[in-house]
Amino acid sequence: MSDALSEREEPTGASSGLLANDDLVRRIGEVVAGLFLAVVLGVLGWTVFSEVDPDLLQTIFPRFVTAYLLVIRIVIVSSILSVSAGIIVGLARISSSPLTSNVARGYIEFFRGTPLLFQLFLIYFGIPSLWGTGQFPISDWEIPAAVIGLTLNHAAYVGEAMRGGINAVPDGQMEAARSIGMSRVQAMREVILPQAWRNALAAIGNDQIILVKDTSLLTLISVPEIMQVFRSVNSATFDPWTPLVWVCLFYLAVTLPMSKLVGVLEARADWGSDRKSLAKRLGSRMPGGGTS
Amino acid sequence: MDRRSYLKASGATFAAMGVAGCLDSFTGGDGETITIGSDIPYRPFEYNTEAGDLVGFDVEIAEAVFAEELDYEYEFQSTSFDSIIGSLNNGNFRVIMSAMTINEERAEQVDFSDPYFTAYQTAVILSGSDITSKEDLRGVDVGVQKGTTGETAAEAIREEFDGELNIQSFDQITGAFDALLNNQVVAVINDNTVNAEFANQNDEVQFLEGEGEAADMGENAPPYLTLTVEEYGIAFRQGDDEFRQEVNEGLAAIRESGRYDEIYAEYFEG
Repeated sequence: MSDALSEREEPTGASSGLLANDDLVRRIGEVVAGLFLAVVLGVLGWTVFSEVDPDLLQTIFPRFVTAYLLVIRIVIVSSILSVSAGIIVGLARISSSPLTSNVARGYIEFFRGTPLLFQLFLIYFGIPSLWGTGQFPISDWEIPAAVIGLTLNHAAYVGEAMRGGINAVPDGQMEAARSIGMSRVQAMREVILPQAWRNALAAIGNDQIILVKDTSLLTLISVPEIMQVFRSVNSATFDPWTPLVWVCLFYLAVTLPMSKLVGVLEARADWGSDRKSLAKRLGSRMPGGGTS
Repeated sequence: MDRRSYLKASGATFAAMGVAGCLDSFTGGDGETITIGSDIPYRPFEYNTEAGDLVGFDVEIAEAVFAEELDYEYEFQSTSFDSIIGSLNNGNFRVIMSAMTINEERAEQVDFSDPYFTAYQTAVILSGSDITSKEDLRGVDVGVQKGTTGETAAEAIREEFDGELNIQSFDQITGAFDALLNNQVVAVINDNTVNAEFANQNDEVQFLEGEGEAADMGENAPPYLTLTVEEYGIAFRQGDDEFRQEVNEGLAAIRESGRYDEIYAEYFEG
């Protein structure tokens, strides 16, 4: 913390060159950001205006809504399952038993080290073929296959995030808890995990947003999700831009509320920390460059 | 030469080489390489043998027309079928040979050669399935490949059944066939020749029988239910007329010489 404060103590406009001038750097930043915004809005606006067919936009809307609702349902189920499973994987990973921790490690290395698409194919095409031709008992297997694939894959990432979160809790916490007579499990539950959860939350939230985007791979196992609707419309009309507009908006309609939710969870898990008040102090431009 | 002028000089050289390269490919001539876009595998039109060699009806027709008749080099580029026309128009390849049916929507985007193959949309089912007619498909799951006329035919049936048909679209036809074997769909709707190849290779798969479009049109009808009658063509970018003319002549020449029949017999009457 003292590092961050001392950086702001440098006098403005010192003799060490142009880039040390805070206000000038700020202005340059604003010009670059403004230009970027203007170019993006200009190109995007022009493209949407000239390429998008409003009638088609309306016709295909219900198809995207159907796909969106399916994606939402798959995401909710996979999210809950993968975070729950991931916590268990993370705990197994730090187990003092070599068997448990190595099994968890192998699990993580496999699911993190192979592509999700491979895992989906393994589950969707591989598993049913173990039965005889036409004997596989579960119909509409693509949906369970999708949920299983996303869950197993993301449980590995959540497990690693949890392990990181637990390791970031200082050893003294465990030692202190043990020294007042708590068992290891009890200390883990009462003392370590609440802090580890706070540490891991940002990484887990990030992973869950990636999970949303990973649903786009499900088109390859015939799940009628958002990219599938795009491909179907595009191959029938040869118009890429009109369905692309919906693809973009509908994915954002999943991920933006999710990152909001992660933000709320982070704020809740952050109780008792002085981080927010500190951030406020650092963020405000105090006259004289700020002092401690 | 300082660094800046060196960069300028080499930039100019590369630019010149680039322009020269482009000119080369526009002047055509012997041995020019034609890149052919194709959705591989689509047995028996284009697929790799176990040894990795690309073979199939389209491949041999390409060999006969482009290499033997017209003296071009050719190479196949694998691409996904649902975006193949966009890729052609984006310049990723010169022509499409991918068992592509000529239809009106596609003809608005590309120009087709003369037809080189007649195909029917058909359905394959598992032997012992309780589907015995087109009407039995009401309310079931069928598998198709994305962007194919099989998908269009399935959509037409769905319309006929007032929406009572669930279509599962796969990236490649092999995915739909796997889904049939894995009990995920009860029928696969696709071109007759490709379905026939699959049925031949798998004892537990057979055509859905019955009379259909082909019989209605009084054609030499195959012994299974035909949903539509279609013709395949080679697709060109619009405006590539000179080359298209050349290829049409090549196609006519191999029909004349009996080479076409030879290839046809190899794949469809074996």
